[in-house]
Amino acid sequence: MIRQIKYLSELQLKNLYGLNVFKHTKDKKVKQRTIGLGFAMLLVVLMMVAYIGMAAYGYIMIGMAEVLPAYLIMLSSLVILFFTVFKAGSVIFQRNAYDILCSLPVSQTAIVVSRFIRMYVENLLLTVIVMLPGIVVYGGMVKPRISFYLIGCVVTIFIPLIPITIATFLGALVTAIASRMKHKSLVSATLMILLVVGIMLGTSSLSTMEDQFNIDMLQNLSKVLLAVIAKIYPPAIWFGTAMVSGDFFMCLAAVAGGIAVFIVTIALVSAKFHAICRSLYSTTAKHNYRMEHLKKTSVLGALYQRELKRYFASSVYVTNTIVGPISSVIFSGVVFGMGLDTLQTKMELPIDIEGAVPFLLSVIFCVMTTTCTSVSMEGKEWWIVKSLPVRTKELLDSKLLLGLSLAAPFYVVSEILLILALKPNFIELMWLIIVPAICILFSNVFGITINLKMPVFNWENEVTVVKQSASAMVGGLGGCLMVLICMFLVMFVPAIDTNVIKLVICLILAVVTACLYRKNNTVNLQELG
Amino acid sequence: MLRITNLTKHYKGSNKGVTDISLAIEPGDIYAFIGHNGAGKTTTLKCVAGIHGFDKGEILINGTSIKENPMLCKQQFAYIPDNPDLYEYLTGIQYLNFVADIFEVPAKEREMRIEKYANAFEITASLGDLISSYSHGMKQKLAIISALIHAPKLLILDEPFVGLDPKAAVVLKEMMHEICAGGGAIFFSTHVLDVAEKLCNKVAIIKDGVLIASGNMDEIVKQGESLESIFMEVACDDKTN
Repeated sequence: MIRQIKYLSELQLKNLYGLNVFKHTKDKKVKQRTIGLGFAMLLVVLMMVAYIGMAAYGYIMIGMAEVLPAYLIMLSSLVILFFTVFKAGSVIFQRNAYDILCSLPVSQTAIVVSRFIRMYVENLLLTVIVMLPGIVVYGGMVKPRISFYLIGCVVTIFIPLIPITIATFLGALVTAIASRMKHKSLVSATLMILLVVGIMLGTSSLSTMEDQFNIDMLQNLSKVLLAVIAKIYPPAIWFGTAMVSGDFFMCLAAVAGGIAVFIVTIALVSAKFHAICRSLYSTTAKHNYRMEHLKKTSVLGALYQRELKRYFASSVYVTNTIVGPISSVIFSGVVFGMGLDTLQTKMELPIDIEGAVPFLLSVIFCVMTTTCTSVSMEGKEWWIVKSLPVRTKELLDSKLLLGLSLAAPFYVVSEILLILALKPNFIELMWLIIVPAICILFSNVFGITINLKMPVFNWENEVTVVKQSASAMVGGLGGCLMVLICMFLVMFVPAIDTNVIKLVICLILAVVTACLYRKNNTVNLQELG
Repeated sequence: MLRITNLTKHYKGSNKGVTDISLAIEPGDIYAFIGHNGAGKTTTLKCVAGIHGFDKGEILINGTSIKENPMLCKQQFAYIPDNPDLYEYLTGIQYLNFVADIFEVPAKEREMRIEKYANAFEITASLGDLISSYSHGMKQKLAIISALIHAPKLLILDEPFVGLDPKAAVVLKEMMHEICAGGGAIFFSTHVLDVAEKLCNKVAIIKDGVLIASGNMDEIVKQGESLESIFMEVACDDKTN
């Protein structure tokens, strides 16, 4: 069994982040793409390290050093939970090589454990990125005993276990429920969205300090924060306290608890592994079709219908890209329900955000558009479009239409809620309508541009494209960053009338969008893939 | 119908590809393209189908360059790869209707052709099912039907008989003859030399990316010989030496 786990884990880890392909490919483009992705990831890691280092410094400076380890543990655990819950189901129950594995003399526990190990290694890297700068800053400023570092190392190794377990349990539950339904992908996507919204609302309601917050507690912020962390994620307190107090027994108890939960989850998933896989991969064939009248559609209409079907057939694709539009409605609903002033007070924002509302709404819409990965999603079927008489413009228009038509209903609902909440005058109304519309158009066109630059077709699992590809990262964050910059210009350039700034921004975005659109349509599809 | 002149295509960072390939396929031809695995058959077919670009040479389909006017060329032919990865999230009939929409085939004609070919391949009852539920052979049949839906004059097929049951293979051969009788042409790769010899009037043999023999089947395969022996002689000289 141990040997099986070793071999299967090596197989799982061999091509982590595309390293094996990078090592063996002779295709320079693939090498360049991997190096580019590596640099992008390195940049994100450096930004995270800098942010965490500064945050740690800040915490210690205001006298909350004792909270820092627990805070970092909670932060890394929540990040792991949030990222893993989306992909746990597809990693554990991945179809890739399932038939071959089943025909080999390996136990299902070994298969499940190897897939857990893959997730563990990925998340351990994330944990180190969060914990290491915090431990270094803490060590430099507080000068703790050697036991802090020892327990810190042990804790860092075991932090991912519990959030991975929770994420896997939830992911497996969603997958198991969906596997019994006819529309597996749609049910899975809906459940996943409900789950994520639930986690977000749950953690935000648990972290509300309003009721117990008073002037006395200002003098003892550490206790308040520890109480909040204890409500959100108790293991963070156990691990954190063990680190600060040098309590090896508490550390071992917390580690043992984590391992126990992990083993139980592996046992549960292993027991149901084949049953869930069979339900997921089995397809029902009615075998009762009779020729009927077929409807003729335009080329663009046919491509658009295909895009729609492709989109709703993938739960990973749906959950990853629908979060933005749903969040926009939640944001607008909160503004409508609470009023912008109350929201501003609650969030303790030092500046007036009313003028920035159109951009705030836009940023939420631009987080992750379908177009960032829609070309890559063609995958192994890319030959079909390439061999058919389809113009680049028609193909890309169908992808753009999908992105826009998904955003449209959420945009309309958000606009209605915000108009009712803010009661804007004519000029404000114009900006409220025009700015998000232009930003949505821009981010969708920009997404296609990026995906045409960094397409990936030889993937085995949709997660690779939707979550881990360079185009998803650059396209998803790039559009968002661009709109954020515009928002800051509106908010922090007081010398010029904000209407003038908004007009200039809208004009620039419109021109850039038009230029990108025209450039995209000149791409030769033959040269892709 | 199809003229390939000095086609050269090499993959970046690899010594694989094809060099200086020249072929002419006339109306009525069933042209077999044979060679070892990795000899360059699929690369050549993909260049003809407009899937791959190429470094040098020219590919003309009824006088139109695939490089300069790919849309006009693609309207005239159909291509089926060796491993037909089709849209698994569509049903068979949705996929066929999609391809018919792309070729702008009138509703009545597409219904008629789908009915004819689906009945011939005996997959009409499965057309309402998702392609993900299809076996390899059924996918191959669906790919063939989709290729015939716009009545192309030129068929470019990569290993079309792989995965087909014996009856479907016979049906496909009949369809190939029917297309050629109507003035069309077929250019296909195969490893089944027996089929190639019986079915085709022309043959080309490729080795390591270079065409080593091409022409009429009668001229290549002399009396008393077989295509297999010729192939072993010219393409496997390391074994015969």
